Amino acid sequence: MTVAPPVDLPYQIIWRSRALRQGAHRSTQSGAGGLFRDLATLLEHRDPRRIDLRQTLRDPFGMLHVRRFEERSQIGVTLLLDVSGSMGFHGAARKMALAADLAQVFAAAARRAGDTFALYAADDQVHDALSVPPTRSRTGEETMLAALRAYVPKRKGASGLVEAAGKIGRKRSLVVIVSDFLLSEVQLEALFAALSGHDVVPIRVADTRESATLPSWGLFELADLETGRRRLVVMRPALKAEWQRRIEARRAFFRSLAARHGREPFEITDRIAWDRLGAHLAAGA
Amino acid sequence: MNFGLSTPMVLLLLPLALLPLLRSAQVPQNFPSIEDIETDPVSVAVDWVLRLAGALAITALILGIGGLHGLGRTIEKTGEGAHIVLLIDRSSSMDNTFAGRAPEGGEESKSAAARRLLKDFILRRQHDLVGVAAFSTSPMHVLPMTEHKEAVLAAVDAMDRPGLAFTNVGRGLALALDMQEADTSPAARVVVLVSDGAAVIDRKVQDALRTAFARRPINLYWLFLRTEGTPGISSVPAPGEEDTPQAMPERHLDRFFKSLGISYRAFEAENPEAVGHAIAEISKLERSPITYTERIPHEDLKGRAFAVALVGLLILLAAKLAEVRLVPATEGA
Repeated sequence: MTVAPPVDLPYQIIWRSRALRQGAHRSTQSGAGGLFRDLATLLEHRDPRRIDLRQTLRDPFGMLHVRRFEERSQIGVTLLLDVSGSMGFHGAARKMALAADLAQVFAAAARRAGDTFALYAADDQVHDALSVPPTRSRTGEETMLAALRAYVPKRKGASGLVEAAGKIGRKRSLVVIVSDFLLSEVQLEALFAALSGHDVVPIRVADTRESATLPSWGLFELADLETGRRRLVVMRPALKAEWQRRIEARRAFFRSLAARHGREPFEITDRIAWDRLGAHLAAGA
Repeated sequence: MNFGLSTPMVLLLLPLALLPLLRSAQVPQNFPSIEDIETDPVSVAVDWVLRLAGALAITALILGIGGLHGLGRTIEKTGEGAHIVLLIDRSSSMDNTFAGRAPEGGEESKSAAARRLLKDFILRRQHDLVGVAAFSTSPMHVLPMTEHKEAVLAAVDAMDRPGLAFTNVGRGLALALDMQEADTSPAARVVVLVSDGAAVIDRKVQDALRTAFARRPINLYWLFLRTEGTPGISSVPAPGEEDTPQAMPERHLDRFFKSLGISYRAFEAENPEAVGHAIAEISKLERSPITYTERIPHEDLKGRAFAVALVGLLILLAAKLAEVRLVPATEGA
């Protein structure tokens, strides 16, 4: 079950970063290196080292033309991590362990690509102790991961995710949301609305034990991890089908909402299929 | 019905019965979110059944431990019957057969026949209050008025003991009347005199009896177990023989009883069958309404309390056996 996370997860964006700092992603910046982009007069782009002689000679007005190239810039990568009670579910896998694996890989990938990495953990509020502000440094990464692996979610609600979305800043960045997305429809819509300026990669963490492999017959008492409310369930095939129908309806709503706001969500059930996640991120959309 | 507890202190534990209502016996299993999933009526019903079964089991166990019992009490009922005093002659002649001999082989003595038939009579009469007195030379108070059939049967059985020689009817009757005296209920009063002969009643005793009989109406039945060849109740003295109580005590006792002005019947029996007929006749005659008290004994309800607790616990056990885990325990923690 514990597939060692890969060291790198190449992610792509299909938009152009506006960041000034050089990096690995397509950028709106034009400069001296990379792919040819267009020609401009020397007055527009004052870089006499890139004067295009051919174009200058061809110009009947005798203007000096300069070649412009695309720069590659960095982007900000932010991981929004839902640490509400429901993420504490331990079925076929620990959801928090999966989340920590994802944080580890994204932090490493961002570092390798030269992007800043930030992590905001939130339930009904943002947890500063678990959060990491945008950084390019490797310092503190181990501490962050250790804290995430040790954390036992207990508080309810995920409204802090919306608050954390506000901390990301206005510059378009890659926002990875790791959550089970068991939020109310209103909360989900608010979250996606708050992140509308960013490239959002929702990653839904699910577990077969909470839906697919529910027993067909039997008696069990469930304790809601969010509210602590208890309920006795006399499970039978009809009820199981009903439950699965509801869980599926919830998932379908989330998928359509996510697709409307950008990317198709990536879904993790029990284990992270790293190659599929890599392909999903490399596609860029 | 009233209940009692041998150890009322256990009631202090009764609040424990609320525990199943607060906490379930099932192991709570974490689940991400149940808010979105509607409650299922069957599950809710089962939940309540289990909680109530738990509360019931605890309550029943506490009551069982405390020694639950129904308090004994008496209730008044109305039936048919009478308050009867059996006044039995214990003179030694009763131990002879109807033929006047000592019983041999399969023969039955008068007292044995009377005993057998009287016991039958007592068993058939459900609601009677029966007292037993015996007399020979002097009267004996055998058993006060009681409704306990076993006691009466035992008293009748005690007629077995060999008796004394004389027959003192007068004092016997006085004792029987005394026994009825204590009883104030409006039930019909009956004295059944069982004897195989009569005797002279003293003039003074006669007066006392006359007064006593006049004070309260009593039905008197004389079951005369006549030995073959002896003078009967209705024997008329042959001409020339003297007609005195000394000579013909039966005839004169009968005349005395008739003169009392009470409801009186004499049965003359010369064999066990006749005794049976006479007793059946008495049984038929004494059918007036009677209020009698029925004792309901102290009843131990511990067993039932534990049975109820067992039912509750079996329900809980079934639920426990039906319990499944979403995540197998081997994978937990």
